[in-house]
Amino acid sequence: MEKTFFHRFNFIVLFAALGLLTVGLLAIYSATFGNELTSANFDKQLIAGLGGLFVALVITFLPPKYISSSAFLFYGLIILLLVVVLVVGHRTKGQTSWFHIAGFGFQPSEFAKVAVVLALASFLSNRQKDTDVTNPKDFFWAVGIGMFPVALIMLQPDLGTSLVFLVVLLPILYWAGMPNFILFIFVAPAAAAICAFLGTWFFIAAMGLTLIALLSFKKNLLISTLIFTSVIISGLSVNLVYNKLQPYQQKRIAAMFNPEADALGSGYNVIQSKIAIGSGGLWGKGFLQGTQTQLKYIPEQWTDFIFCMVGEEFGFAGSMVVVFLFVILIWQTITIAYNCKNRFLSICCIGFGTILSFHMLINMGMTMGIMPVIGIPLPFMSYGVTFLVSDMIMLGVIMNAYRNRKEYV
Amino acid sequence: MDLSKRKNVYYLLTFVVFAVLSFRLGQLQLINPEKFDKEAEKNSVKTIITTPARGLIYDKNYKLLVDNKPSYSVTITKKDFDTNQINSVSALIGIDPDDIRSDLKDIEGPNRFIPTRISRDADFKTISYIEENRDNLKGVDYKIEPIRLYPSTNLRCSHILGYTKEISKEQMKNQQGDYYKQGDIVGMTGLESSYENYLRGEKGFQFILQDSKGREVGGLNDGKNDVAALSGNDLVLTIDADLQEYAEKLLGNRKGAIVAMDPNNGEVLTLVSKPDYDLNYFSGKLSPEIWNKLNTDPDKPLFNRATLTRYPPGSTYKMVTALASLQEGIMKPNSTIECGGSFTFGNRTFGDHGAYGNISFVPAIEHSCNVFFYKLVLKIGFDNWTKYGRMFGFGDRTGIDIPEENRGLLPSPEYFDKVYGPNGWTEGYVVSLGIGQGELGVTPLQMACYCAALCNSGTYYQPHLVKFLKNPNTGELSPVSFKKRELNIDKDYFKIIQKGMYNVVNGSGTATAIRTSSVIIAGKTGTAQNPHGRDHSWFICYAPYDDPKIAICVLVENAGFGAAVAAPIAQRIVLKYLLGNTDESEIDDNKYHMPD
Repeated sequence: MEKTFFHRFNFIVLFAALGLLTVGLLAIYSATFGNELTSANFDKQLIAGLGGLFVALVITFLPPKYISSSAFLFYGLIILLLVVVLVVGHRTKGQTSWFHIAGFGFQPSEFAKVAVVLALASFLSNRQKDTDVTNPKDFFWAVGIGMFPVALIMLQPDLGTSLVFLVVLLPILYWAGMPNFILFIFVAPAAAAICAFLGTWFFIAAMGLTLIALLSFKKNLLISTLIFTSVIISGLSVNLVYNKLQPYQQKRIAAMFNPEADALGSGYNVIQSKIAIGSGGLWGKGFLQGTQTQLKYIPEQWTDFIFCMVGEEFGFAGSMVVVFLFVILIWQTITIAYNCKNRFLSICCIGFGTILSFHMLINMGMTMGIMPVIGIPLPFMSYGVTFLVSDMIMLGVIMNAYRNRKEYV
Repeated sequence: MDLSKRKNVYYLLTFVVFAVLSFRLGQLQLINPEKFDKEAEKNSVKTIITTPARGLIYDKNYKLLVDNKPSYSVTITKKDFDTNQINSVSALIGIDPDDIRSDLKDIEGPNRFIPTRISRDADFKTISYIEENRDNLKGVDYKIEPIRLYPSTNLRCSHILGYTKEISKEQMKNQQGDYYKQGDIVGMTGLESSYENYLRGEKGFQFILQDSKGREVGGLNDGKNDVAALSGNDLVLTIDADLQEYAEKLLGNRKGAIVAMDPNNGEVLTLVSKPDYDLNYFSGKLSPEIWNKLNTDPDKPLFNRATLTRYPPGSTYKMVTALASLQEGIMKPNSTIECGGSFTFGNRTFGDHGAYGNISFVPAIEHSCNVFFYKLVLKIGFDNWTKYGRMFGFGDRTGIDIPEENRGLLPSPEYFDKVYGPNGWTEGYVVSLGIGQGELGVTPLQMACYCAALCNSGTYYQPHLVKFLKNPNTGELSPVSFKKRELNIDKDYFKIIQKGMYNVVNGSGTATAIRTSSVIIAGKTGTAQNPHGRDHSWFICYAPYDDPKIAICVLVENAGFGAAVAAPIAQRIVLKYLLGNTDESEIDDNKYHMPD
């Protein structure tokens, strides 16, 4: 293969990300338009975006070895910062998750997502130690690396971000070679618990599927029975625990599944944001013309609820452009992961792809009232300096993987 | 590992995410956009918090003690409110404009979109004015909320029930989570405070569409998103309202406290603290004058004397010293001590009511012989004296289910070392402790629990006021559980104490004036020495003697000797509770003049 610049530079990924950044900037501009307190957010986001782009390009051209060998250093540094933020961090809305550096809020938990993916990828691609996820010792080490920051982030407490770590772990392990059966052992009880919560018939269906899956795995009777029992127990215990709760506690949990049931907190935003998106129609009301969003019915719409700006002002057409840009970016990332011969970079791509899809699903779903409100921002678009820079680091590593896809080391 | 297969799993999941989001987008923006457009044009969706009815409170016989009634609260939605209107709003509801300004300042974040209560218990004239002047008073509104109503006029129960009040800024800041909003009512004292989480229920909310003039034009999505408020749990108390009312009347204008409980389970039947206050002051708008008056009254009507006041128990405490000596094997049940009418220790002489010669436990209690107990406490030693006091719960909270409670003070060698220094006190300090004087401090509630443990021969029940939580919808009762513990004292030794207390009333003891043929009462008088004025009078008793159903402690401040007023009050409570007899005649302090 001829090594031209274009063959080694993935413009699709870059333009998808820059497209999202641009739409995000427009939306932030509109959301903070005429608001003295927050209109500076647009400038901050623009600076962060340009700075982040520079970081992404630097990372693109780094030798992969530099990245993999500094992964654990980065991981250690982030763990340290997570401890520091608990001690000296600012408290807002009951969470201690950020501190101020030179006028920018800095949130180490956003970088922690990137750090965990890099550290896991570095661990799982270690040639000297010949790590192998089918080996129980290595498997538990990997789980430990992935879960350790969660403990610190739970202390802030930031449940939404913690959830991202849980979700990103399995796809990485699976990509690294975890057997289907082990994946099944992890997923089945969790899925059964959620199904049991949704209703008896869901639970029965889940048990049926478990049974079919167990038969197809053809493991010995003892192991299959054990797993089936654990699935039933996890399903039953969910309702048992739920029924023991006070009615108001039950209501809080129900609000996770149906945010509108919690109008004192998140439900208010969800109702308003659904109206905003719905009223956009096919073509939207036009830039700076959204009545719901311009009248500031949605608090802090430039962060977690940025997507409803897009929905109202740019309509279905504009929203679908955003969705497509995300899907192109993620699709490309998976393709790069598959084609990349460097195992470290390949695993990184899978991890970052998972983070992007999970954020996109939960955040957009939340603004449309189909996902719980757990404070997860929209990549490249939501206002937030730390978050945007961490997105750009991921972009840089993905482009680096494309550039070096033919080399094994 | 065959990644060519596995990559398809990832593509598939990405496709599912794509499909879910675009389907939902289409559903919201293409299938039915007119509905949302119309709602967006009406321009605002107002969220109204609906206040749940606070749980009701019943006495043990399901007589209603605390009810709710509807009232109007005036609210302001900050986002819609024109601050130039502050003066007219101020004139309308009679609140200082600066107070309104400071209230508005505290409304931040999403709360700006929600009507916030700025005044409660508004009259109908105010409400009709708001209704007629909506165009000028944008953002001003009212809502109907339940407030407390106390149906009985003869019964106070102030210190048991406690009062509710608007949440303070301090409480708002310190709350866990963000349930409470400015202006919310919370229980501040008594059961209203300790059972706050059960009584308050859970707020609901309504989404209301309003037009640009602030007029309501209907519910969002036909009210399908609304959540109904959940009423709080009702409380069923252990209190006997009739007995409580009678006891409040008996204490009348005197200062003091009465606690009566069932010695078989720790249920508090009556808990009176006088002077008290009218809970109706707190149900609507509490006027600052009344609040100031309650707080500055020298007789402290807000202070719960039954659980917070701390006096030396006097002779009522002698049974602790007696039981300690028996259980520790220092005295035999029939041992005697010589009483010569006074006792000299070091260079101090302690007096007595008389010279009783060689006297044993039963007559020593019956006549409340001081010398017997001076000598006894020196025999058993300070450590043992403290140990048995602690066993009966002195020096610690009883754990009653209201927040106001004093530990009292049970001196110990360590305590004296700390206060006076290791060599700064002598055994002489201990002598007066033996007869319940000196630095010992106890609450009337502790005394009632102690009396209950004496008459049931050694079971100490955690006193409590609530029997059941009642679900207001299903009527289902859930019992509230409390602790009990067995005291490590031989049952036979209690028999001796009980016989002594029997003789106090039915022999030739210090409270024979309250002897009655209809019920056999056993008791003990006591006097709390008061350096500032007349002594305080204590009386503890239980009845019937052979099968106790009620244990009582009465404390009357500045009433003089032990049995003077306290004992006849206790006797009347016994007769009312066991036989239903009431006696409305005035208690003559002098008629019952008796030695301690």
